[in-house]
Formats: sequence, structure tokens, C-alpha cells
Amino acid sequence: MTEPVTHRDNAPDPAERKAPPRQLTLNVLRYDPRNPSVAPHLQAYKVEEADSMTLFIALSEIREHQDPTLQFDFVCRAGICGSCAMMVNGRPRLACRTLTASLPDESTLAPLPFFELIGDLSVNTGKWMRGMSERLETWLHAQEKELDLRRVEERMDPDLAEQIYELDRCVECGCCVAACGTAQMREDFVGAVGFGKIARFRLDPRDERSDDDFYAVIGDDTGVFGCMSLLACHDVCPKSLPLQTQISFLRRKLATVG
Amino acid sequence: MSYETIVAQAGLADRIGKNRWPARLDILQSSTGLFLALFMWGHMFFVASILLGATPMWVITKFFEGYFIFGASHYWLVSCVVAFVAVVFVLHAGLAVRKFPINYRQLRTIRAHAAEMRHEDTTLWTWQVYTGFLLFFFASAHLYQMLVWPEKIGPYGSADRMWSDGLWPFYLTMLLAVELHGGIGLYRLAVKWGWPDAPREVLKKLKWALTAFFLVLGLATLGAYVKIGYEHRDHYGERYTPSWLVDQQQNNDAAAAPQAAPSGETK
Amino acid sequence: MKTIVTDVLVIGGGLAGLRMAIAAKKRGHEAIVLSLVPPKRSHSAAAQGGMQASLANVAKGVGDNEDVHFEDTVRGSDWGADQIVARMFVNTAPKAVRELAAWGTPWSRVRAGDREVIINEQKVKLTERAEAHGLIAQRDFGGTKKWRTCYVSDGTGHAMLFTTSDQAIRHGVEVHERTEALALIHDAERCYGAVVRNLVTGELTAYLAKATAMATGGAGRLYRVTTNAVICEGMGHALALETGVAALGNMEAVQFHPTGIFPAGILVTEGCRGDGGLLRDVDGHRFMPDYEPEKKELASRDVVSRRMEEHIRAGKGVPTRFGPHLWLDITLLGRRHIEHNLREVKEICESFLGIDPAEKWIPVRPAQHYTMGGVRTDHTGQSPTLKGLFAAGEAACWDLHGFNRLGGNSVAETVVAGMIVGEFIADFCDKPENSVPAPLSLAREFVAREEEKLSLLLESPGRENPFRLLSEMQQIMTDYVGIFRQGDALLAGVAQLQGLLERSREIGLSGKSRAANPELVAAYRLRRMLKLALTIAYGAYQRAESRGAHFREDFPQRNDQDWLKRTLAFWPEEGATLPRLDYEPLDVMKMELPPGWRGYGAKNYIDHPDTPRRQQEVEALRAEMQGKDRHAVQDALMPFADKLPAALAGRNERIDEPLESAK
Repeated sequence: MTEPVTHRDNAPDPAERKAPPRQLTLNVLRYDPRNPSVAPHLQAYKVEEADSMTLFIALSEIREHQDPTLQFDFVCRAGICGSCAMMVNGRPRLACRTLTASLPDESTLAPLPFFELIGDLSVNTGKWMRGMSERLETWLHAQEKELDLRRVEERMDPDLAEQIYELDRCVECGCCVAACGTAQMREDFVGAVGFGKIARFRLDPRDERSDDDFYAVIGDDTGVFGCMSLLACHDVCPKSLPLQTQISFLRRKLATVG
Repeated sequence: MSYETIVAQAGLADRIGKNRWPARLDILQSSTGLFLALFMWGHMFFVASILLGATPMWVITKFFEGYFIFGASHYWLVSCVVAFVAVVFVLHAGLAVRKFPINYRQLRTIRAHAAEMRHEDTTLWTWQVYTGFLLFFFASAHLYQMLVWPEKIGPYGSADRMWSDGLWPFYLTMLLAVELHGGIGLYRLAVKWGWPDAPREVLKKLKWALTAFFLVLGLATLGAYVKIGYEHRDHYGERYTPSWLVDQQQNNDAAAAPQAAPSGETK
Repeated sequence: MKTIVTDVLVIGGGLAGLRMAIAAKKRGHEAIVLSLVPPKRSHSAAAQGGMQASLANVAKGVGDNEDVHFEDTVRGSDWGADQIVARMFVNTAPKAVRELAAWGTPWSRVRAGDREVIINEQKVKLTERAEAHGLIAQRDFGGTKKWRTCYVSDGTGHAMLFTTSDQAIRHGVEVHERTEALALIHDAERCYGAVVRNLVTGELTAYLAKATAMATGGAGRLYRVTTNAVICEGMGHALALETGVAALGNMEAVQFHPTGIFPAGILVTEGCRGDGGLLRDVDGHRFMPDYEPEKKELASRDVVSRRMEEHIRAGKGVPTRFGPHLWLDITLLGRRHIEHNLREVKEICESFLGIDPAEKWIPVRPAQHYTMGGVRTDHTGQSPTLKGLFAAGEAACWDLHGFNRLGGNSVAETVVAGMIVGEFIADFCDKPENSVPAPLSLAREFVAREEEKLSLLLESPGRENPFRLLSEMQQIMTDYVGIFRQGDALLAGVAQLQGLLERSREIGLSGKSRAANPELVAAYRLRRMLKLALTIAYGAYQRAESRGAHFREDFPQRNDQDWLKRTLAFWPEEGATLPRLDYEPLDVMKMELPPGWRGYGAKNYIDHPDTPRRQQEVEALRAEMQGKDRHAVQDALMPFADKLPAALAGRNERIDEPLESAK
């Protein structure tokens, strides 16, 4: 079968290992809303870089060895759960998936804008996402018929299932909203995450909502007609969701029912 | 008092049927922008006719004045076109301004956002805001001029405006603003509605190519008018008449008393 | 004292917790879910590969049914599982998948016609049946006879969690995010709710409920290298343990996943091997067939992990400065397959290793993965010793997994147990005698106690650093209570952990804030984690046999004669440094599948005296009922139908088993 490649292909280059580790400086924007007397300020932390170090590892090290009061959120630390979005040198990213090797010697970390600040790098994305879900009703709308769970499931085209999953991969990390120029000015804007959800349910034949129903939730200036198509959402999405095409598609469809 | 207004006053308008206006307004903003951008391209080609010589530019001017159809210049035709464009312009500005930052806090936020993000499309949009803001005044002034004094358009008239009236900085600024605003606007229309369905890098390259082309064309044109205006400074107000028409006129003059030529430039 | 009263208090917002809350809500009971993080961030999302349910849609799943799933599960558990619970589970799993399908989960579907797959390094052509086209697809997973794992690309847990969470929102289930339960409110007989700390403001609130359900997931963070999320610290386990009344079952059963990315421990799914990926050593040699000629890479996880460590010990690991590792090779699956069916794996490899798994091998080594042990419950999910306390999912010892869980059975357990236990909780709340008002004085006492503990911690002049103690504990657990265990080492580990527990009483904090304070959180959680670590280590020391994931080098045999029993751990004394262990025997005479060889791993066990007798009984009954309907045979061997909630009873339809004819 496949010719085994030698492990040396994967092993770290010995020459690389000898280089002295880099001294990283992380300037963290610190603020505690419950202690407003201390103004927001940048605090510099120095960390010695290690092999395949991520911002998760670097920040954990800072908390454990330098400053146990530093607030940030990590859960899966594997790029799956979307907890750790923060502004890394001005742009929203998942910190756990950011290798320090990709950063300059000095970097700035700040909380995501737009969302309620809990403290330092921790923001309340969960609360906003729940509100968005309630507002857009981001669940499958199907008749509340008595489901007979003993029966064979309804069929679905395999390609369609894959397409739905493609849109279902959103982790609600909030990067798209933090990157959105529109959202920075309109607090009530639903953001790309909301559009992605609507596009996902619109694609799903199990959802019985019509375009009129979708129009009712995103057919205004807080929704798809307020979007200015700056597309930073598309460019920063850690899951590489096709937000550009989905939003323009929704806009075309809803403009015609409007 | 009607059922609708009573319901609307109670804040329940959304409950009795969908509001179609957001969709309509968005389409209107896009279509007015599209119209204005295409109009500006056409406009640029017309004024750039000066690069081919004064006569071609004069012919185009006269064409719009209906000279070749009616045999005489009807300046109100130009005013009508200007008026239509002005209406579209005001509509577009009115719709677009809804998306602008409306207070200092928003302005500060979006500026900081664009500066920190260093995201091209976002930065481009802020340019659209600035250029749009400029055009609000510049294009309005220009449209007003053209509406009220349509007869001043012509190889010498326009050139005098540049040099002797000292308006070339005004037009230079407006040129930059229009080309940036329109080019970015067309690009954003494409990504906004998903047509043409090309990758964004391709669209962006196309957009920059078009902007560069029209800027070069515009600058050359402006230069040409400035040059003519400079050379024509001692004859300010004199209107251009093509040589063949001059000959014809002289023949006519020989036949009759001197009369106003069909060229429409006033003193 | 701030008090919130509800019908059902669910602690934990992952799949199991949300599903229980939905069940209660649908039956008309109020439910509040407490969650450390927004529910969609729960560790359930990390289940990549899929959930087992015997739908038998794909060609390689034909002939699969509850019976096969049941046997795989029991063999996988090394006979540690409660077989009644396993039966309830396998019968409900297809319903759970189908319910999620109706709720919107975009399960990957069968495409009729030919397709090429990789099985045992060979390209094999499979032909999917036309009648299965568009039905939910299954893939291969370790320790299973049939392809049974239903999946959504390799984001199964994510898709399931989002579907379920959205349904919870739809049904108006209240979720109190960023809250943490600090203690269960109880009077040694009945549980009345919990003392809850708001992690943002630090405020303590008494939540009072008719039923309290624990769904806090696993305790992977007791180990240094784990695939678990950072919130998987076993706090639900610890809270139950600290009641002194509720028991933790089988805590020494800890699963190590064969393919954690080296050295970070981030999981790459079993689906990699299920889909045909191979394990290779330093020489590029595929070594698993040498150890496990039959199941090879797809033996159960405990076996594969052990074989990997064994191979590393034989000097066949790839040396690095972080220690040795092995390779996972999925290059043979082809780029298309990887980019469609294993895209999370691809993302992980790119983001964390900087490699393209379609071209390069992935460095892997077994990492702590799953806590089989949990809050001991009966088949309804209720603690037999503390009324009103329920548990489901990884936090529970229901006991579906025994000493080793099969891949694809955990995420299945979350929703299946969520459905079943949710119904039982609703039944519990329906009963008027369970509507006793919680004594407010008791609640006040518990809140005051927690308040005082926090104050003592904040004001303590101690010099111990909680983060340092935590990492020492993780190292001890990894060194002494890992894949290979040994009496002396375990004893040394226990002693060291006891030392840490003593030292943890001398913790001093640098920040004195009562509100959001990561150091404070680390400190109070550490003390609880140490109790769990001791429970695991001490349980492992006492269990002088090898069973499933618990492997004693000094007792390599499975010993049914002495150890076919479940460990129950209690912590009645707050000041103690060891748990009290009890044992609950498993009754061979009631087993549908009496103990035997698993079909993989070492064929090395001591029979229980009852085993031959029961084996004979079972064989006789099977012979007698030859030709009878399989359900009838099953019912004769070990009836369980009366155990399931009515709403979830009933057989499951399959293409080859139409419901009408099955009746």
C-alpha cells in the first residue's frame, strides 16, 4: 500500500531546537467593570516561547505564574467550542488556535468589542447568542406532530445533509460580530452569525418556515438590509463559513419577497 | 385616524403584516448608486472628449442640448437631465446616510475599528463615508451650477470655469472623491448582491483597474481643461465655435446681420 | 439569602443536562440549567466521531440490531456494565438518533451505489443499497461487530449539542450561565437543590428544587495530558461525594484514548481509525496487527492504548524531548475523504501541528479521555442513597460502560440517558409526595457554610499556591494512576495525594476579590479534585485485578471470582484524606451475557463460580427457543421492558425489520 514516509519528515528540525526561545511580550487590555475606578489599561506580560505554544498555553502560564487575577475564557482549547475569541493585534481570533509562532515579538490582546465585558479578556458572548437565538428562532420549525421514534427516520439527500452541516459548523464564537463594522454602530444588528443560522434553516427542508417568515425576523435594517457588506465576518470566521455568498443569497431572496 | 395608524402607534405594526420598506429602500439605495456610478462613467467619457479636441466636446455638448435634432440649443434639456440626476443623487445620499455614523460615539468607534482591524473592505467603506460626505457638498454645488447655468458647458466655458473661475481644485477634489466612491460602490454592490459571482480578489482587481482608468482619464481631462482655460484666460467668456461653423457663420453674416450663433456660451 | 425555586435543577449544560431539562419541561415541570459556560461551549461539542445506534442502514451495518449493540457494549465494559441499563440504552439509542434527526441534526446520509473505502489497508468496494439511500449513515468504530456509529462528518457532538441547545431555547429552558454549584443542599436522605455561586459577581444563591440532576461531565483535568476541556474537573462528582451520602461508582475506571495529539493531548477522533487509518511506530511499521491480529487498530480503546504504551516501552516510540510518541497515518484515506469526513481533524492538525494530515503522519499518544466512574445511580438515574439526586452522562455511573466505554457510546449515552432519566425525573416530580417544600433553614445553613469556606480561603495566610498544587496532582495521577498500574506505585501515589490534600488546606490567595477571581476558583476546585484523585487512586490500589481500562501489572488477570463488583466510594468525613470504599456485587445469574472473553485483548481471566452455571442456563434457553423471535429470546433471558419509561418503549424499525412484522 502507501509507501511509509520516514518519521524524520515530521520531526522538528534539530537546528531549530537549538535557537534560544523568543521572549514574547503580550500587552493585555485590562479592565474590571465592577471596579470602574481603575481605568482600562494595557498590562505587559513577558512569556518565554515554547514549541507549538498557543495563546491558550501562554495565557495559562501567565495566570499560573505571574498574575492569577487575569480573566479570560477557554474551554475546549482545541478550536471546537468558540469560547476564547479575542482581539489579537486588532483582529478577532480564537486564541487557543493562535500559535505564538505566528505572532510578532510584541502583541496586543483585547476583549471582543460589542459584547458585554465581564473583565479583561472575558466577554459574555453566550448571553448575546442566546438572545440572538430567541430573536431569530434558530431552531428547526416543524409541526409539533407526535413523533413516532420507533419509525425509520425521514430521508434526506446526502449532498444536502453535507451542505446543511457546512452551515451548521458555526461555533458562535462571536468573531464575525466583533469584526463587523455595521455591528459596531448598531447594537441591535443580528450579525453574520444570525444570517448564517437563517441560511442554515432555510436550506433545511425539515424546516417549514417560508421566506416570508424569515423576512419577518431579518428583513429590516437590523437584519440583512442593514448589512453593509464589509465582509470582515467572512474573512475572520475561524470555521471558514461561506458567509459572503450566504448573506448575498439571503439578501436576494428576501429582497424579492419584500 | 385609520386602523393602520392606530396599530402602528401602538407599536404593533409588525404584527399585522410585513414591512416591505426595508427591502425596497435597500434595493433603491443600490440601484440609485448603480445608476449614479454608470452615469458618472458616461459623464466622464463625455467630458473626456476634450482630449480628442475642442470640436468633439462641442459636438457632444450640442447633442445634449438637442441642437442636432431641433436645429437649435435647448438648454432646459440639459437642466432636465441634471434635475433627474440631482433627484437620484439626493435619494441616494438620503438612503446612504442612514448607514453613516450618526453621532460622535459611532464615528469614534468605527474609526478605531477600521484602524485596528486593518481590513481592506472595512477601510474602503470608511473611504466611502468620507468621499460620500464630501460629495454631499461638492456634487450638490456642481449639480446646482449645471442646473442653473447649463449653457456654460462647452470647451471654453468649462475650461474658463477651471482656470479663470479658479475652480480646478474643486473639480480635482471631486474627481478623486467620485472615482473612489463610485469604484468602491460598484465593487460593494457586486459582493452585496452576489453578482457577478466572481471571487472577491478578482472583483477587487477589476475595481482597482477601473478606478485607475477613470482617474487617469479624469486627471488628463482636467489637465486639458486647465490648459485650455489658461490659454483662454484673456478671452474669458468667449464661447467656442468650431471652425467649420465659423466659416458657415461668416457666410451667414455676409448674408444677414450678425446674430447670435447657435453655440450657446453666454458672455 | 437569595433563593430561587424550581421543579428541576439541572447542574451542567451539556447534552445530557439539556436533554433532561427538555424532558422535564415537556412534561410541564419548570427546569433551570446551571452551566459554567454557555451551554453550546460544553465539552459535548468535542465528541467528533459519532454516536452508536443500531440503525443498520449501511451495507456494513446490515444485520445489526439491539442484540449486537448490547453484546459489544457489555464486552467493551469487560462485564462491568449493568446489563439491564445496557439493554435500556441500546433500545433507546435508535430513538435518540431519530429524535435528533427530527429536531434538525444534519446526520450524514447513505448514498446508494458503489463507494470505495479503506479496510485493513485495502481499498474495498462497498455497494450501498438503494432502499437505504438518504437514511442516516454509519461508520466503523473500535470494539464493534457492525458499522454502527452515526455521525455528522466529524463534528457529531457539535451538531447534536447545537440541535439540542436550540431545542432547549425553543422550549424556554432557563439556563443560568457562568454559575457553579458549590454544594448540594441535603439532609442526608433527600437532596433539595444546591448552593450556587455566580462566577461573575461571586454572589451565592440557594437553588431549591424537587429534583436535582447532575450532568457535569468528566474529570479529565485530574490528569496532566487529557483530551478533556479545561472545565472537565469533575465538580459534579465531587459535590455528590462531599454529601457523604451519595456514592461514586467505579472511579478507578479511567479511559485513555489512543490518539491524543502529542504532546498537547488534543483529541483526534477514533473515526480516523474507523475509516481506515493506521498506527505506526518509529520505523513506520504498522504494529497493531502484531498484538491484535483480529481487531487490529479497532480493538477497544483500553486495549489499543495499552498496546501502544507497551510498544513504546519496547523502544519503538519516536523519541522527542517531550518523550516518545507513535504515528497515526491517515494519508492512505486520500485528501477527498479527509476534507469531507475528517475536516475537524484536518483543522486541528493544521492549527496545532502545522501539518497537512493528507500528506503527513500525526504524532499521537494515549491521553486521558473518559471517566467511566460517576455518581452511582439506579436504572432510573437516581442515587440509591440520596433521594432526589439524579445523574446522567459522564458524571453518572448508571452503569452503561463498566470498566471501558466503547467509542461512540458516550455521546449516545448523553442523549439516551438524558431522555430516559429526564422521563423518570418528570415522573418523580409528578408524585405529590415529592413536592415537599425544601426547608429554608437547611438552605440557609448550607449557604452560610459555603460562605464561610470562601471567607476562610480568602483570608487564609497560607503560602500554598493552588496552581502549583494542581499541576503536582496532575503529574502524580499521570505517573502513578495511568494506563499501567502497580500496587506499590499506587500506594505511593495515594500517599503523595494525601500530602497534597493536607497542603491544600494551607492555600493562600494573592487576590482577595469575592467576585470573578480565577485563583479563588482554582483553589476551591483543587480541594475537591484532590478528593476525586484520591478516590481514583485508592480504588485502583484496592482493586487487585485488571478489568477494562483498569490494568494492574501485578494482577494482570480479570478476576470475576473476587472482583465482579462495582466500587462504591463515600467521603463521609470532611477532614478525612481517604474515601470509604464499599463494593456492590454484580449478579452473574441475572446476566443475559455471562462473563467470557471479550474477543480482543488478553484471554486471561478467572471465572466467577456462577459463570458456568449461568452460561449453561443461557445456552439451554437459547436452544429451547431456537427459531423464536429474537425479542422473545431476549425477554426470556433478561426482561427489561418494564424498566423503560412508557414514552420510550417499543421496538425499533429498520429496513430489514419492518415494525409491523416485528409486532
